[in-house]
Amino acid sequence: MTGTEIYKRTAAYEREASTIRLHAPQWKLLLAYDGQRSLAEVALSADVSFAEALPLTEKFLTSGWIEEQPITLDQYLKRTGASDVSAIGAAVPPAVVLHAPRSETAAAPPPPLEPETPAAPLPPPLMPKVATPPALSTPPPPATASEIKVQQGPMRLSAVVDYITSLVGNTALGQLLVYRVFLQVPPELLQAEDISSVHLVNDTSLIRSESLKKAIARAVNEVAKRPLPDGVYAPA
Amino acid sequence: MPLHERDIHYFIEATVAYLNKITGNEIVLRDPTIEFQSLVFSAHTGLFLLSGDANGFVYFTTSQQFLLHLHTARHNRGRFSEENSHDVMVDITGTIAHSVQKRFGPSLHLSEPRIFSTVPDDPIEMPPAVFVQPIMWRKEHAYFVLGLATSETT
Repeated sequence: MTGTEIYKRTAAYEREASTIRLHAPQWKLLLAYDGQRSLAEVALSADVSFAEALPLTEKFLTSGWIEEQPITLDQYLKRTGASDVSAIGAAVPPAVVLHAPRSETAAAPPPPLEPETPAAPLPPPLMPKVATPPALSTPPPPATASEIKVQQGPMRLSAVVDYITSLVGNTALGQLLVYRVFLQVPPELLQAEDISSVHLVNDTSLIRSESLKKAIARAVNEVAKRPLPDGVYAPA
Repeated sequence: MPLHERDIHYFIEATVAYLNKITGNEIVLRDPTIEFQSLVFSAHTGLFLLSGDANGFVYFTTSQQFLLHLHTARHNRGRFSEENSHDVMVDITGTIAHSVQKRFGPSLHLSEPRIFSTVPDDPIEMPPAVFVQPIMWRKEHAYFVLGLATSETT
């Protein structure tokens, strides 16, 4: 799983819902799968770390309560912003089944920064094997320093960590990418906010300092080459 | 060009693979942290300075009990001394050095290992942040710590 997969609850879930026993945070995650948002987005919305969401998602899949939501190539192109297949140089659309868009106007989540050769073997795919799609679009260009904008609400450090981790598609490597990001954050800003450490799973810190929020957003932009999504901010 | 994350992770993999070989795959990795203000040192530490493709340091630090368990698992005998602690740490650092040199060759230079007890004799400059990977075996803790220079990120 890379975090870009999209899941929906199944008919089996509907039948068994009244007999299912889960902890409240697990229910929150299970009920968040809507066949629209990616796994990374669902985890963010359910306040579950990406690292926690992975085994829970596998458990729900094994139990038959959720299934992956396939979409067409056309939907995928709309989600990624590519106008047509010719724009990406494919003469014939490949026979692929991909993940569903949130909506046609919603911004697509960034594609995972897949390592060339993952350090650890990935779990077997949950869908039947399909052809690997070509690189349909390039990631959004990183913003310049003056373009970095942050939301008014406090920044949830756990959401920042989970977002960066999800970009890589491998938790261990993603956590090292988080480390690289924080190497770029001025220590004096962290110290001023009383941040002496970041827990890479379930950090509960909220960042309220505007300068620190901007520094973190800038570091993500520079190192991960992606803008931070609005979902990392709590309501103001 | 900084090292890729998977290259950095190789340091941890090599260390854990060695420990798992001795312990029969009983090593448990806990959730890592990034520390900004202090370095963690346990009773015994083996440290390398890095230069070349990466600049900074890596070290493995652990309790006396952890090393005792390792020594016992490896040599099947219980007698253990300060000298044995040093020997076990030499084995661990030697394995890390061998694995890293085999993978990276001359492009990444590791210093001679600095093995010490409690805190380092020579001060270590604290980088802006260090990556700490806690390791647990038989309720004893060890830590793999990585400190990279800021320039390694871009």
